[in-house]
Amino acid sequence: MALTLSPTLSLRKAPSISDEEFRKLRDFIYSKCGIFVDDKRKYLFETRFGPRLNALGAKSFSEYFQILTLSPDKDKELASLFEMVTTNETSLYRDTKQLDGVRASILSKIIKEQRAKGKFELSVWSAGCSSGEEPYTLSILLHEELGPELRKWRIAITGVDLSPAMVAKAKAGVYQEYAFKTTPEDIKKKYFTPVVGGLKVTDSVASLTCFQSMNLNDAAATKRIPKSHLVFCRNVIIYFDEAMKKKVVSSFYDNLLPGGVLILGHSETLHKISAAFKPMMLPGAMAYEKI
Amino acid sequence: MSKVRTEDLKPGLIVSEDVKSPDGRVILPKGGRIEAFHPMLLKGLGVTEVEADSGDDEKLLQAAADYTREFFSYANPDSPVLAELFLYATGLVAQRLATGWVPPTLGERMAQNVEHLSDVLPADEADPEKIVRHETELASFPESSLRLKAELESPKASIGSLTKLIGQDLGLSAKLLKLANSPLYNFAEPVESIQRAVTLIGLREVSTLALGMATINYFQGIPPELVDMKSFWRHSISCGIFAKILSQAMGSGMNPERFFIAGLLHDVGRLIMFKKLPYASTEALLYARENFVPIVAAEAALIGYTHTAVSQYLLASWKFPAMLADLINNHHSPKAAPDPRLAAIIHTADAMSNAVEIGAGRLYVLPDFDDESFALMGLPASGLAKVFADYETQAEQTISAFF
Ligand SMILES: C[S@@+](CC[C@H](N)C(=O)[O-])C[C@H]1O[C@@H](n2cnc3c(N)ncnc32)[C@H](O)[C@@H]1O
Ligand SMILES: [Fe+2]
Ligand SMILES: [Fe+2]
Repeated sequence: MALTLSPTLSLRKAPSISDEEFRKLRDFIYSKCGIFVDDKRKYLFETRFGPRLNALGAKSFSEYFQILTLSPDKDKELASLFEMVTTNETSLYRDTKQLDGVRASILSKIIKEQRAKGKFELSVWSAGCSSGEEPYTLSILLHEELGPELRKWRIAITGVDLSPAMVAKAKAGVYQEYAFKTTPEDIKKKYFTPVVGGLKVTDSVASLTCFQSMNLNDAAATKRIPKSHLVFCRNVIIYFDEAMKKKVVSSFYDNLLPGGVLILGHSETLHKISAAFKPMMLPGAMAYEKI
Repeated sequence: MSKVRTEDLKPGLIVSEDVKSPDGRVILPKGGRIEAFHPMLLKGLGVTEVEADSGDDEKLLQAAADYTREFFSYANPDSPVLAELFLYATGLVAQRLATGWVPPTLGERMAQNVEHLSDVLPADEADPEKIVRHETELASFPESSLRLKAELESPKASIGSLTKLIGQDLGLSAKLLKLANSPLYNFAEPVESIQRAVTLIGLREVSTLALGMATINYFQGIPPELVDMKSFWRHSISCGIFAKILSQAMGSGMNPERFFIAGLLHDVGRLIMFKKLPYASTEALLYARENFVPIVAAEAALIGYTHTAVSQYLLASWKFPAMLADLINNHHSPKAAPDPRLAAIIHTADAMSNAVEIGAGRLYVLPDFDDESFALMGLPASGLAKVFADYETQAEQTISAFF
């Protein structure tokens, strides 16, 4: 190799974190949002937080910790901490097979039951909705399922997320090409219109949704969500430890109406978390019914 | 602006003065671009240095370092071995940047569609033992491999019996000959028969190679749309080559073929996961990229167990020789192996191939590195530069012997 490498090129760029500092920061994060960081991610912490420490002028993780817990700006700092420990990856129509299964076996059933009761109302909670793709997808599914009958229905899809920045994006409802990577072309055409900066959901799709920032760790807050027929919580509880998973799942249980259904991400299960639900095998997915 | 020595020139560099031969002819005018052939040409003409803008060079190098560092973010930044790997990978990335390569953006790194995939077993039911059983009940380990394994373990094995056994499988014979003629061995004369290969390489050695190659064959049927099989095999072959070079660097009496094959098969558990849980394993790949964790950590987080747990069941049910299985099953945890010093070879080779792949645009973070096990190998971290150099002379041709 003919390249001369400058000796200043070093792998380490961030201040190092001691085991003690790591544990303190990790426990703090856990107590704030239930996200559990295992020991192996210690170095990842250094690299993820390093730039923030530099920006704040903090020379060590202990100093950073003081800012987080004692400074007048600590709430703002906490929000930026959340941004660093969460992943907001999502897309419209994420996991099509699962959605097909949910539409065919669950949505249609709930709708039929509601019709029989003469109650044309339906509520859905999307917990950990990131930038809104999931709630909008659910709104589109309902548009497709109900067609013109939709006018008769009162539908509320509540999307919540820890990150205020994500919630703001969700409210805007404007997406780049990347968000459509898993979306069928006809759906994209039918429910989105070009605007400056991307494609925007149609008013009709947006009208069924509302968004707010909320910490799923906050039991008092989750109680305020309207009772749901369906809870979607996909690709969120993988970031939690068992105790937090149990806590969150029990808040879903409390929120669900009798016979309501919980949908988790593709690889997530309630195995070892809760026995209060009846697992159902759908084509392409698992669903958990409140019993 | 500064002088760059001819041997340090790299493609893409822009010269800031005319480059002239000693007799005054302009070879490359001011503003021209150095191409791959220039260093040799200029040297031949007796040009020892050129004027080039090395300020840009420095910037490029920093950009390369920043890009590369992302892929080292999970591992200990104070590890002397990783420091070597980082320097090497940065060099590769810088070379590519200099040729105009645009590194993938965060969005591109994550974009991948998994929607067409579905798992054979639901997440609730799939544990390592079950998915292996699902596989081994469907298809048995090929007869020819079983016989090779018996041959490898038999005290009565002979050149004659092994040559005959391999000769029954034309595809296998051809692959072995290609390998024997690759730079991996670098024999002075072409090796034209299996018999000759056995004489040159050794009986046990060729049996080991044959068993490894036959095992690869077993997996040939995996549909390429499940996962990028080509990069999977490139990674595997790279790891094999590194493992062989490392074992040779550790002194004689190491049976390099054993390490080559263990390296080649080190991620075999992942193949079973691709076959049985294509959706979940592709999601694990995505999760790895989204969260800047190595694939093995993503498997643990998302699926609940890793490819080494799977290979453990697989190789046990195939009754694979322990001398290979122990290395394969412990390549992420060399300390847990019966002989950590030997497992460290595959562990190191895996890290080195990951480092090379960053330069090739692969998007996965390096797994944890165990410096203590590496120390058992008795090689200084600074010696790895030589291992990389040896690798470069062998890699492309050896890899192409497989495709
Ligand atoms: C990977 S995204 C999943 C988005 C979407 N549900 C999907 O499956 O495509 C995970 C989201 O969970 C949110 N999250 C993580 N911890 C949370 C908490 N304690 N309370 C609320 N939201 C949380 C993150 O902010 C992030 O947007
Ligand atoms: Fe591995
Ligand atoms: Fe590997």
